[in-house]
Amino acid sequence: MKKSNYIYIYPNDFTSLITLLGELAKSKILPLNIQDKNYIPGLFDKVIELDLSPLNTPAIISHIDKNILNTLFYLYLSNHEYKELIMYYFFLYSLKFKDKVFFHRDINIVDKALKIVKYVQNENHKLKGFTRFKELKRHILYAEITCENNIIFLLSNHFKKRLKNEFWIIKDVKRNILSIYDKKDFYLVDANNCNLKEIILSEEEQEIEDLWKSFYKTIGIKERQNDRCRLNFMPKKYWKYILEVSDEI
Amino acid sequence: MNLQEKLIILADSAKYDASCSSSGSTRNIKSKGLGNTFFSGICHSFAADGRCISLLKILMTNCCIFDCKYCLNRRSNNIKRAIFTPEEICQITINFYRRNYIEGLFLSSGIVQNPDYTMNLLIETISLLRNKYHFNGYIHAKAIPGASLYLVKKLGYLVDRMSANIELPTDKGLKLLAPNKDSKKVTNIMHYVKENRSAKFVSSGQSTQMIIGASQESDYDIMSKSSNLYQNYKLKRVFYSAYIPVNHDKNLPLIKTPPLVRENRLYQADWLLRYYHFKVEDILSSDNPNFNLLIDPKADWALRHLDEFPKDINHCSYEELLKVPGIGLKGAKRIISSRQYFTVTFKDLQKMGIVLKRAKYFITCNGQYLMTKDLWNADFITKNLVLEEQKHTTDTKKEQLALFL
Ligand code: SF4
Repeated sequence: MKKSNYIYIYPNDFTSLITLLGELAKSKILPLNIQDKNYIPGLFDKVIELDLSPLNTPAIISHIDKNILNTLFYLYLSNHEYKELIMYYFFLYSLKFKDKVFFHRDINIVDKALKIVKYVQNENHKLKGFTRFKELKRHILYAEITCENNIIFLLSNHFKKRLKNEFWIIKDVKRNILSIYDKKDFYLVDANNCNLKEIILSEEEQEIEDLWKSFYKTIGIKERQNDRCRLNFMPKKYWKYILEVSDEI
Repeated sequence: MNLQEKLIILADSAKYDASCSSSGSTRNIKSKGLGNTFFSGICHSFAADGRCISLLKILMTNCCIFDCKYCLNRRSNNIKRAIFTPEEICQITINFYRRNYIEGLFLSSGIVQNPDYTMNLLIETISLLRNKYHFNGYIHAKAIPGASLYLVKKLGYLVDRMSANIELPTDKGLKLLAPNKDSKKVTNIMHYVKENRSAKFVSSGQSTQMIIGASQESDYDIMSKSSNLYQNYKLKRVFYSAYIPVNHDKNLPLIKTPPLVRENRLYQADWLLRYYHFKVEDILSSDNPNFNLLIDPKADWALRHLDEFPKDINHCSYEELLKVPGIGLKGAKRIISSRQYFTVTFKDLQKMGIVLKRAKYFITCNGQYLMTKDLWNADFITKNLVLEEQKHTTDTKKEQLALFL
């Protein structure tokens, strides 16, 4: 392996990144960093973007074990500053240890990678519960979420099954991405390209929300009040979009 | 009375039931209809008491012909009564589910007229929800003890989980506090459900609940009952609900706060029974019938068996690992699988999520012990473990513990 002083740049999508990782591994390069196209190089940074087009992406991907590819994908969705580099090292270790890599907690970077994956999965799982839809005119369901990791794709997969026969839209407020579901499939789009200014609630929305808030207040047993426990399970950072607690902030 | 008032009354009367989980069911998506279930369960919110909210937990009605002493809804209490129509319950469930407030419905009821009549109300409501509204999410229903078995059968095909509450661990306690109840009627239902369980019938299994601290029974009585229920009826869960004083009665204990620490110990011991290869007799006995409130049952057991420790992480068996305080199921599995590829060190243990603060007293890594050998005595370890646990308990629990210090 040879160390490189270059920062490698990739087009902003998962498959290109995997292709790049495969290529770097083949040429035995340990890059200084790997960044997506939005990266703004510093004064002394040396950046390089490989031409990946002649490479056979499907072939590279089909060579990767499913569990390892999944792990790489979860890492890709994480908000970690050096996720690409962590992906690369995890990928290198997976070439060495194959599927046994998952047991190698003794290797720091493997341990780190698996912890990040867990963090992404946990957040996705939390949001499966914490997402709150509002009903708009014409029965469209609309939810705004906030999340540390880029989980809207995972979350949409969940609601695609659960709310199969509904029209719904989920908005990741921080990243400004919309997921739009049309009863067949969902599409991720840049919210700037969408005119969603006219959010008009359905007539019964207020009534249902009030019912839910009364239920929420009632169901807690006051002799057992335990704020610490509640905060532990439902951290404040999600409260803004959780209807029943949003006015407690 | 408007819908909101009804909902408040009927959620308020349902809130004391501890079961909330929505796990264990795999309802596939249907082309028509709304919803699915998620095998490991999903919590949608957490109430001010820190408990998970995953189901719309309500009673059909809080009217009741029975007079159980510990229950808010008992006949002799002068409280506001309400009854939902099946249509109302469906409307609320569907509207909440579409907005992702809930994972499904948990429907229970006070007993009106007679058990069969009440059971029919539940069945009517849930079939409406399943067949007219095509609701395909999670449903947990209470079976009404004393109802005919053909009704239990009907209900079983509609729900994911069914439960009948044992309430108190002994017949003596039941006679004193719930004179209209008969434990035989509860176990009849459990037996029927066990015999008929399938992917279509109560697919995620049955559970039950016991009230803790309303009667005189010891923890040993309670755990023996649980173990017996797990064995005889293949229950998925026994829930423990710390008694909350809602009524005054000469047969009820005079307490102000619910016995939460005790409840917690019971849950811990319950886990030991179900997943950690412990038997009731390992942790409690007629000479030692109640849990040590200061220390969790597993650590308590380990301290009474210090001669079996320390265990060497790289050599002991999976079962032995499970008995080490601070090592959970996942941790034990991780250690076993990692051991095949490298020698596990203390540092690795930390990475694997093992609570070294607790485990360090009971283990060695390749012969190395983290403490000095002269500190190897039960007194010293107990003090430290108690301190450690205190850091993690809430103030109300601390008050309760203080009573025993
Ligand atoms: S049967 Fe007993 S516990 Fe159940 S609602 Fe009636 S009074 Fe309460």
